[in-house]
Amino acid sequence: MTISHHPPEDLLADFAAGKLEEAHQLVVGVHVAGCTRCARFVQAIEQLAGATLEDFEPVPIAPDAFDRVMSRIDNSPEDEAAPPPASATDHDLPPALRKYRIGKRRRIAPGLSMRPIELSGSGKARAFLLRSAPGSRMLEHTHTGTELTLVLEGSFSHEGGRFGPGDFDYGDDEIEHRPVVGDEGPCVCLVAMTGDLRMNGFLGRLIGPFVRL
Amino acid sequence: MRLFIGASKGPKAKVDWADLIGRVASHGDRAAFKRLFEHFAPRIKGLMQRAGCSSDEAEEIAQNAMIAVWRKASLFDPATAGAAAWIFTIARNLRIDLFRRRARADRLRADSELPDAPDPAEPADAAISRVQDAARIEAAIKQLSTEQSMVVRLSFIEERTHPEIASLLGIPLGTVKSRIRLAMNRLRDILDEEA
Ligand SMILES: [Zn+2]
Repeated sequence: MTISHHPPEDLLADFAAGKLEEAHQLVVGVHVAGCTRCARFVQAIEQLAGATLEDFEPVPIAPDAFDRVMSRIDNSPEDEAAPPPASATDHDLPPALRKYRIGKRRRIAPGLSMRPIELSGSGKARAFLLRSAPGSRMLEHTHTGTELTLVLEGSFSHEGGRFGPGDFDYGDDEIEHRPVVGDEGPCVCLVAMTGDLRMNGFLGRLIGPFVRL
Repeated sequence: MRLFIGASKGPKAKVDWADLIGRVASHGDRAAFKRLFEHFAPRIKGLMQRAGCSSDEAEEIAQNAMIAVWRKASLFDPATAGAAAWIFTIARNLRIDLFRRRARADRLRADSELPDAPDPAEPADAAISRVQDAARIEAAIKQLSTEQSMVVRLSFIEERTHPEIASLLGIPLGTVKSRIRLAMNRLRDILDEEA
């Protein structure tokens, strides 16, 4: 897997700092988990964060904080183990995604379906898996917000180049997308989106309401 | 590895935090843990408050982070991450969890008819594979100028606004933006060369 499209550096730095909202954290995280180049960048930012922490001006903590911590350690030395079991049986999904509850597939248009990913609701962006049939020309659309897309399977191409598995695409309201899905198979993408997709043309107006989740 | 603290090495003397974490891991060394706690807990709290947590939230994160340091000490691998960076990631993940739990609780309060939600998912970054050794990452960071690493730390880690950074450093706003941009590109280039 050769990744040729990466998230911009400031997005990676915000990811490392834990500042991204949940949907964006998810999409960038799945990219980083599969991209050594970006994992290295994230680690460098974490290293800088460690230095910042080490030099940070201390603030007073509760006087009994240490004793409380030690008594919690002594009273339950091994608790909070048992990670929640993966709810989904989608073994073809990246591990980071298996921890989420993923909704049923919904058809949006011929050859186009999506599965919503349940988030905590702490952010404004939604996350979903978008599946498009091979060779299909995706609907011409513009955004009212930002859109982070990560290819999990298959490929698509648009003005910005070809995007295959692991590739990351950043779209904002400046950009008009007209992606064409590759012939090799269906294209499955993990998408984080704020705002609405605005479909252009008759078909777009027809299905637009369904895309608004 | 030895400890330099107290060895009259001047203000630059550094404690070997990795060694202390190793002692916690190998034999539950409480004295070592206490030194880690005394150094990091007040700084975690400070950094979390700086990053927008309330005093109570920051205190909770600091205590929980130190409990996690104790429990996960055996998972710490000094070859893949610096000790302070490792502790930072623990605190960062706890903050992410806290914000998500808080959002979920707010939502449930707002609409009591919502169905039971699943447990909050682990932060997505939990699965990042540690590919690079810490020494090489550290060497790469050292190639940034002091000015460059300073703006990155102020902007991304301390979460200060660009105007704030401009007045802190006494430089024009435009310089802040371009310096951050330059630092990011430089870091990417250095890491790419290292690969
Ligand atoms: Zn990448």
